[in-house]
Amino acid sequence: MGSPFKKSPWVIHYDASSCNGCDIEVLACLTPVYDVERLGIINTGNPKHADIFLVTGSVNEQNKEVVQNIYQQLPEPKVVVAIGICATSGCIFRDCYNIQGGVDKVIPVDVYVPGCAARPEAIIDGIIQSLRVLEEKRQIMSSMSGSIDQMIVEKANQSDLPEILALQKIAYQSEQEIYANSSLEPLNQTMKELEQEFRSMTFLKVMVNGKIIGTIRGYKQGETAYLSREAVHPYFQGKGLGSRLIKEMESYFPLTNRFEVFTWFKSKRNIYLYEKNGYRQFKTEQVSETMEYVYLEKIVKAKGSQDEEQ
Amino acid sequence: MINLSAVIDPGCRALFFYGGIVGLLLFLILFPLLAALVLLFANDRLRNIMVKAATVIIPVYSLGLVFTHFNLPVFHFALQIELMNRIMLALEILLGMYIFWVGLKYRKYWISILIFIQVVLMTGFELSNGHNLVIEHNLFVDKFSIIMALIIGIIGSLIGLYALGYMKDFHAHYQEPSKDNRKFFFFIIYVFLSAMFGIVFSNNLLWLYFFWEITTLCSFLLIRYKQTEEAVNNASRALLYNLLGGVAFVIAIIYLYVTKGVVELDKMIALGKAGALVPAVLLSFAGMTKAAQLPFSSWLLGAMVAPSPVSALLHSSTMVKAGVYLIIRLAPILQGSLAGLLIALVGGVTFLLGSFIAVSQSNAKRVLAYSTIANLGLIVMCGGIGTYEAVWAGIMLIIFHAIAKCLLFLNVGVIEHRIHSRDIEDMSGLIISMPRISIMMQIGIAGMFLAPFGMLISKWAVLKALVDYNPLLAVFVVFGSAATLFFWVKWMGKLLEVVKPLQDREKGISGTEMLPLYILASLTVGVCAFYPAISSRLIEPYVIDLYGRTTTMAQGNIVIMSFMMGLIALFPLSFINYGKRVKVNDSYLSGDNADSSIKFYGAAGSIKDVQIKNYYLENYFGEAKLTENGIVLCSIFLVVMFGVAFL
Amino acid sequence: MLDLPGGHVRGGFLMKTILIIMVYLIFAPLLGGLLAGIDRWISARMQARFGPPIWQPFYDVLKLRQKENIVVRRSQNFYIFFFLLFIIFTGGLFFAGYDLLLVIFALTLAGIFFVLGAYKASSPYSFLGAERELLQMMAYEPMVILVAIGMYMVTGSFYIADINSFPHPLLRYLPGLFLGFVFILVIKFRKSPFDLSMSHHAHQELVRGIITEFSGKTLAWIEIAHWYENVFLLGIVYLFCASQPLAGCLLALAVYFMVILVDNVFARLKWQTMLESSWAAAAVLGLGNIIVLHFLR
Ligand code: SF4
Repeated sequence: MGSPFKKSPWVIHYDASSCNGCDIEVLACLTPVYDVERLGIINTGNPKHADIFLVTGSVNEQNKEVVQNIYQQLPEPKVVVAIGICATSGCIFRDCYNIQGGVDKVIPVDVYVPGCAARPEAIIDGIIQSLRVLEEKRQIMSSMSGSIDQMIVEKANQSDLPEILALQKIAYQSEQEIYANSSLEPLNQTMKELEQEFRSMTFLKVMVNGKIIGTIRGYKQGETAYLSREAVHPYFQGKGLGSRLIKEMESYFPLTNRFEVFTWFKSKRNIYLYEKNGYRQFKTEQVSETMEYVYLEKIVKAKGSQDEEQ
Repeated sequence: MINLSAVIDPGCRALFFYGGIVGLLLFLILFPLLAALVLLFANDRLRNIMVKAATVIIPVYSLGLVFTHFNLPVFHFALQIELMNRIMLALEILLGMYIFWVGLKYRKYWISILIFIQVVLMTGFELSNGHNLVIEHNLFVDKFSIIMALIIGIIGSLIGLYALGYMKDFHAHYQEPSKDNRKFFFFIIYVFLSAMFGIVFSNNLLWLYFFWEITTLCSFLLIRYKQTEEAVNNASRALLYNLLGGVAFVIAIIYLYVTKGVVELDKMIALGKAGALVPAVLLSFAGMTKAAQLPFSSWLLGAMVAPSPVSALLHSSTMVKAGVYLIIRLAPILQGSLAGLLIALVGGVTFLLGSFIAVSQSNAKRVLAYSTIANLGLIVMCGGIGTYEAVWAGIMLIIFHAIAKCLLFLNVGVIEHRIHSRDIEDMSGLIISMPRISIMMQIGIAGMFLAPFGMLISKWAVLKALVDYNPLLAVFVVFGSAATLFFWVKWMGKLLEVVKPLQDREKGISGTEMLPLYILASLTVGVCAFYPAISSRLIEPYVIDLYGRTTTMAQGNIVIMSFMMGLIALFPLSFINYGKRVKVNDSYLSGDNADSSIKFYGAAGSIKDVQIKNYYLENYFGEAKLTENGIVLCSIFLVVMFGVAFL
Repeated sequence: MLDLPGGHVRGGFLMKTILIIMVYLIFAPLLGGLLAGIDRWISARMQARFGPPIWQPFYDVLKLRQKENIVVRRSQNFYIFFFLLFIIFTGGLFFAGYDLLLVIFALTLAGIFFVLGAYKASSPYSFLGAERELLQMMAYEPMVILVAIGMYMVTGSFYIADINSFPHPLLRYLPGLFLGFVFILVIKFRKSPFDLSMSHHAHQELVRGIITEFSGKTLAWIEIAHWYENVFLLGIVYLFCASQPLAGCLLALAVYFMVILVDNVFARLKWQTMLESSWAAAAVLGLGNIIVLHFLR
């Protein structure tokens, strides 16, 4: 029967400051003349149901965030199709003061459908092309999510920071629910602060599909290495990735005898994760009426055993 | 107060004859009275001890009644105490004078007039006929009384316990203008319990009337408790309407005595439709005023100014139930009569309109009040029809409604003290800020209308009874239930949804408040498990006694209901899977989320909060319009009812 | 198909019941999915389009199973699981021949789980969808119960098994109730003009209403639940003509076709119209029918 993804691509269509020419063509695809439903294509109008994100227009300052937001809300696997020359490159608008210049400036694009306006046939062809990408991504997703060990953990660079910040916010959202207030630091961190941290800390990232799904950072001060802000994308949580990240991070500080982390007092899961990796609680600190920090440490005694660990 | 030695002494003697049952009855009536007297003078510590002791003792004795009386038929007790009647008369006159004075004080002259009529009629009657009144049995107990006693005993004393913590909080919140008058509050609560036991055990209508009047007065005093102008006005209204019923009660007694020479409940029921229809209609009228049926429903809404334990105890679980208790008692007389049909119509219209109006209310206590009025209407309907099926269903409704509604009232009381609002819209996200309370709210609400919980079982039985009697009457239940569904579920949803960051507000609720809630929540679920037993051991024997036949739920349906209950019980298990294999993401706000699910970018880059508000359908279910129509309609029904009864 | 004596537990009865429930469990989603496919095909033809293959609904569900599951609140999906569970349970009760009223109550319970899940998701769109779903439930509930009462008045039993073995077609006695039921079926099948809480087509007004915040596997559950539900609803239509099984099946199919036709002819109407018209239908067609029955007997 083949992959059901090929038979039931659901799309969402967003107009990122197009002249409406391409939008009309997109909608024309739904009419009896082109009737894309015969291919199982449905215009869902809701990112959470869609597989394919059709964007028209060259993306301006105002709707840049909307495009990113909608992209975030599409469940994996997903593909992006840029429709029209505006969406592809910005076209004649690319030098305007408020224009980003093409959809790929704000989100990754998989298929480009040029034309001004793109013809319905071309749009349908673009969607069909994107199905192959979709299928590839599905395969990667299903194979990757099963085998954490094959994932590559590597150092992050400056250009990864926006994605890491976004991931951090997604991953800590569940923590926020536990504390019933939104004052957890990882959620309020700004890009500037993160860039500052980047200068003094080591950042690690785990990639799947070219997307970062896990991160951790650490730095060494005196005899102690401090690990912090471990974040794993919720979709990949509970698969041992957390432990893997801790181990990798520790290995970046080879001659260290003491590691320290902190978490929040109700985060049973985090505490459990650290304890599983050899950490012990050694102090707590009341920071506000409702919040308490828990500090954990790990002492690596003999030099020999530390070598073994590596 | 009552001369204790005179009463207890014959009570002790009777103890030997009746295997302790009469002792139990007297104990249940007198012990709360004793507790009340202690509480009137107790300081805080002694009050705590006394209330806690009563919370253990009263339910234990009520349950004792079940076990001693389990296999016995109806029991009547002579218990001739000449002195008792005189004391009662004296007390009645005293109460009458007090109420008369209240009427004058608040310039509600109608109250004075009504109580004047009542007292004059009653004293005249007793003085002229008192010596030739032959009363065989003053007290009695049967399965129906036992059910009522259990409700009063268990729920009543739980509410007493709850009130300990609640009233402390209450006075911390509302200093003005009521002063801390808790001694008086608890005194009245326990006097009231005593009177309730009196109502359900009295066979002598004069006694019944005496206790009836005491509950009316207690209700007045408790509604007035806050002493604000609103409280005083609403309390007076409650008093006025209940006195209207009281007058009907007196007339019923006199009429019954003059025409048939009888003043006892069992003899009256034995007279049947031919002999006792007029007094039965009069008593039903009294019952309808007490149960806040439509022309009179406004007093129950006004009564919501009272503290929550009062609303739970008097205005949903017990006192208003006394009204429907009387009507269900009289069901065999009303059965098949035109007057009975009209009573059923009043109940039906009340159910329908009460449920409708509840849709348009956002004040939690008003929603509960309207739902109470509606459900009482349903029970009145059962009584008015009076077939064996209807009586069975009506008694089931009394039980289940008392438990679930009490749970809801007490919960709302706690919530109100925490969030300082009664508005359902303000209860959004309670599942995060007060998880335990809101889970109990969910149980209570589910208990009110959902399969396989108790109220649904009873409503189903009502529906069947109605269809068998006259399918056209079912229309009230059919449409009313649809509205019921709407207002309950939207409330449930409000508790679940989270659209703002929330603080934990559950800390610091006292144990004496939580414990009754836990017990009631487990009862709401538990009674569903035990109801086949309750039905077969208590309700069915009562129905068989009266009608010679009974109904029950088919075995197969019970099995399925239990199965459903089992499935629902699995729901908490799904939380094992909490947060696994899902990705948490913001909600869809057309892509304009301002970094969260609860804020979005509005015009010109401003950040706005997400706000969600329920539908209230004012245009369809507006309170003013529907109430007006209901009052007119039901008044017509009542007038016609009296017309057909007397002619 | 359903010649069971209602309410009596006998030897063989249990076995038969279990067998029927098994058959229902397996074949109802197949039939329901197929009906949905046919629906889309017919709709496309009515709009002069070619339309998707008949099996399209199955492809959709298979795809959804493999998608990532995005939630706003972690517990929102549990309610949907119980929605599916109770829909299946309802259908099982129905085809096993149990009490019609009980079946209706179980259906309500299932619907409420659905609504609560959407409330829990706490998004304005799903909230509004949930609220409208409740309005829809309020709109159709009276009619459904009236149908049960009508059937009871004619056959003397609430048991579906007994109703099913009634020797004459119920349609003869209950034409008003039948019409009223078809009327509210438009709501239940989520078809225009009453597809207020959600729709199978992309009306953008409420995004996807009650299902806005459900994705992946959970959305597939909802779809499957609808298949089960549709089969069960057509089962009630069948009851109106159960004495002639073939005619009954044809009746059910005809009603299904009618609903599709109405779907394609009408635009979505306001909820006010829905509530008024369906209560009017219940009062005039439903109650009228019952009054006539009552006085004829
Ligand atoms: S590509 Fe042409 S038609 Fe399409 S949006 Fe740009 S300018 Fe308009």
